[in-house]
Amino acid sequence: MRKPSIPKRPLELAFFVLARLVVAGAAALILVPLAFMLSASFMPASDIVSIPYRWIPDGLRWKNYLQALAGNDGSWLYARNVLNSLVVAGAVAATTVAISASVGYGFAKFRFRGRNLAFMAVMATMMIPFETVMVPLYLVVVRLGFQDSYLGLILPFMASAFGVFLMRQYLLGFPDDIVDAARIDGCSEWRIFRSIVLPSIGPASATLAVLAFRQQWDNLLWPLLVVQREEMKTIPAYIVKFAAEKSADEGAMMAVAVIASLPVFILFITLSKYFLGGSAVFAAGKE
Amino acid sequence: MKRIAFALLALAFVAASLSAQAPVVPELKGKTVEITIWTHEDVNRTAIEKRYIDEFTKANPGVKVNYVTYPSGKIKDIVTAGFAAGNGPDIFNLEIFDAYPFLAEGFVAPVDLKASGYKSYKDIEAKYVSGMLAPVVEGGKVYGLPLELTNWALFINRKMFRAAGLDPEKDWPKTWEEVRSVSEKIAKRDGQILLRRGFDFRYPYYLTSVVPMVEQLGGELVSKDGKKVAVGDAAWLKVFEYFRDFGPNGRNLGSPTYTAARKAFDLDKDEIAMSLSGLYQIPRLKAANPAFYDSKEWMVVPFPQWKDAKKVVPNNYYGHYYMVSSQEPKLQQQASWALVSYMLSHGEEYLEQVGIVQPTKALMESAAFKAMPYSDVFAKDLAKAHIVYYGASSTKIDALLKEAFESVMLSGVEPAKALEKLRKSMAEALADE
Amino acid sequence: MKRASGMEGKRARWGWVFVAPGLLFFSLFSWYPIVNAFVTSFTNRKLISLKAPKFVGLQNYVRVLSSEDFWNSARATAVFAVGAFVPLLLLSLLFAALIVSLRGWKRPAQMALYSPAVLSSVVAALIWLVVFDPRGLANQGLNALFGTPGVDRRWLADATMAQVSTIVVYVWKYVGYFTILFVTGMGKIPDAVNEAALIDGAGPFRRFFSITLPLIRPTTVLVSVMILIQCMKTFSTQYLFVQSGAPTGPIEVMTLAIYNTAMRDLAIGRASAMSMLLFAVMLLLSWLQLRASRGGEDAL
Repeated sequence: MRKPSIPKRPLELAFFVLARLVVAGAAALILVPLAFMLSASFMPASDIVSIPYRWIPDGLRWKNYLQALAGNDGSWLYARNVLNSLVVAGAVAATTVAISASVGYGFAKFRFRGRNLAFMAVMATMMIPFETVMVPLYLVVVRLGFQDSYLGLILPFMASAFGVFLMRQYLLGFPDDIVDAARIDGCSEWRIFRSIVLPSIGPASATLAVLAFRQQWDNLLWPLLVVQREEMKTIPAYIVKFAAEKSADEGAMMAVAVIASLPVFILFITLSKYFLGGSAVFAAGKE
Repeated sequence: MKRIAFALLALAFVAASLSAQAPVVPELKGKTVEITIWTHEDVNRTAIEKRYIDEFTKANPGVKVNYVTYPSGKIKDIVTAGFAAGNGPDIFNLEIFDAYPFLAEGFVAPVDLKASGYKSYKDIEAKYVSGMLAPVVEGGKVYGLPLELTNWALFINRKMFRAAGLDPEKDWPKTWEEVRSVSEKIAKRDGQILLRRGFDFRYPYYLTSVVPMVEQLGGELVSKDGKKVAVGDAAWLKVFEYFRDFGPNGRNLGSPTYTAARKAFDLDKDEIAMSLSGLYQIPRLKAANPAFYDSKEWMVVPFPQWKDAKKVVPNNYYGHYYMVSSQEPKLQQQASWALVSYMLSHGEEYLEQVGIVQPTKALMESAAFKAMPYSDVFAKDLAKAHIVYYGASSTKIDALLKEAFESVMLSGVEPAKALEKLRKSMAEALADE
Repeated sequence: MKRASGMEGKRARWGWVFVAPGLLFFSLFSWYPIVNAFVTSFTNRKLISLKAPKFVGLQNYVRVLSSEDFWNSARATAVFAVGAFVPLLLLSLLFAALIVSLRGWKRPAQMALYSPAVLSSVVAALIWLVVFDPRGLANQGLNALFGTPGVDRRWLADATMAQVSTIVVYVWKYVGYFTILFVTGMGKIPDAVNEAALIDGAGPFRRFFSITLPLIRPTTVLVSVMILIQCMKTFSTQYLFVQSGAPTGPIEVMTLAIYNTAMRDLAIGRASAMSMLLFAVMLLLSWLQLRASRGGEDAL
């Protein structure tokens, strides 16, 4: 259905105009701090807190970016740290999707004793604030010998309760008939999962992957605890370190922030469908 | 033949000792040991320490050293989690009031005399200026070797004094009252927003820098017998009021939310005229702003005292001690102490490159120390100063002080109320020990 | 449904096969730590100690529940959760309703609103700390808007403002994310329904309150539970603000208090008791919220 592009009733017209104004205003307001980050990243520190703030920097101060990349100690490890973040967040996204799909499928399509209890127990983990379990969790990882490694960074986040929830919701809407028909045809359960269920959960997987990726990209506390070598650090740890150093200036700090944000923004723009497809999966559940 | 062989051997020995001056530790011969150091970030120090480690591992090829640095704001949590999980480092250092709980709980090994080349614990104590090892001596044993001991003095920007019509040589503030009045003259504002500050504190180091202000007035953090806390209402209230008066609810001269004073000071962008820092700030100032350093438009004066002070109390000094974990095998402890002693044997280089003072008698008397600009100001204050409070709950007490002072300065809490709460929480914290 | 019981048993086993790897993961990395914390909460364990911890019964709970600091952090969490929950829910509903009515610029509008959510919290805090500097954009912007030059709103320095500031950062970061969830929920409403209402002469407000809102109830319930859980778990903004000089008391939310009790005071027994209390409250609240709305049955 296509509505006429400009409504005729006065109330509708007012709403039509107002909606655009409000959305544009909100979008502008929300983008201001981002624009500020970009503009300040090209300024010397003293211009950043000048009154009034001049949005256009006098010349592009690439020195900030050079300092951001080289680090205050000139070790040039930032690029490696960005890579680490990509590896960790990517791996977590992949495993989260795989494990959540399997568990979600199990919960959605099979009846077994203890199912509801197990499901509630998984759901309850969503309520656990990370700080609460940080120390016992660290103990687990140390006992397994995974500190200071990619495994240590990835393992504790390989699956998420939310992911299980999402997949289960999505698969509840998956027609039982298809699964039953495949069974009658003699397909093994594993085969059904792999060749019928998995290919059908594309949108949910993409959404979940994006979510998991973003969360790891954001993770600060855990990498600080688990990683010791500079070259194993991830972006947030690098930022905290860079900002804590006494000689760091605000311009370089903003350059660090821009560099940290670039990869996710590129992902965001190219995969915006999945970022925004956010809850296509929610509504797809049982209704 | 024998003789030639002997001569050759001798020559080889000399050559070896020339290229790597580090001592060969007999216990480590033919063994492989891996030791880990966790220390806070300090670019200049990292550079020289990595070199010492290279030299040490060349002399003792079985030793492998992992040198890891952490931001100074984070390292305490990381060391804590490390030891809690049985995964602590071999060697670490923290500010003494953060490190002391580890010592108190038995996680720290006493200095291995043989590996570090001392005859006795007395021998170690004799090497350092008296009192400097106090926090790490227990039952006659020494549990740490000082990496740095620091007190703070007042850095002054001469240009900004003159611009405000003041004569820096005469008008530099000797008292807290003058700090305030001079700051009033220098401060520049856009309405309520400070564009230029005279002085600002170094937040949030309340144990180090604010407790002395209380002590100058006769107050105490903890009474001598350890039974009473926050002793001397008048002294505490006066300091609380000073903070309230200094902050945005009073004369609006400074606040913890502006750029850190010493960072702004180094940049010399007409932002702040006075800040508190240690001797190590001088090499940093030189690195951050060589032009300002060379211009000699800065100077250092003693830590201010109250006009009606009951006694002279300079800024507390605080220390970082290299400590070795008691949780690792003996051999690792020996290797660790050998390495620590080797690194710390370069006191003059630490001073010249990093600006940190290892309080050995030799260094304090050395030409290198005397040649450091303003080292006499720091040394004079240091002689009258005492060490910062340390105990099993010193970290908690530092946080309680921050909360109390900032509640008065920023949140409008009445000083008497803040003091009452501070006293209650401190007593509780001490009771937990 | 008719199934042979043999088949049933076999299928049930397959159910376990699909679920087991995940459950193994959760038991190691979620349940074990929480059970560990639960047990610890009844001991006097210190984070760093070579002594074996002693069982102290409910002592930690009694101490925590009778301490002023605990109730202060409970207050801080409640203020933050409510303070962020209400604007997040209302604004994201509003923006979603407006965006759905847009035609051409839907995608760019959604992307603009969503973009802060892709930033990491550390970066967000870094930006906002400079914005909230007394000389920064926040003061300048408001002063230009209200024509009040030179007023310092003390974003980080004042007790009330520090709470407002953390909420501002949080709403800024997540309003787009929740808007998108509502946009999708509203997208499921058949056009015919709205069209019929339009023909009946229902105005935009009527349409929103009598059609959209009831129809997206399951989404609303789900999203509000998510917002609430997220708000109660907030940590990094408060943590970084306190590190940058904001007063601790007003924004020492529960998670931060737990972190401080464990890592600074080393009282892991007491910290675990606090964790258990927070955990219990969160479970209770989510359950209440789901119960309170019948739509909840559909959402879970």
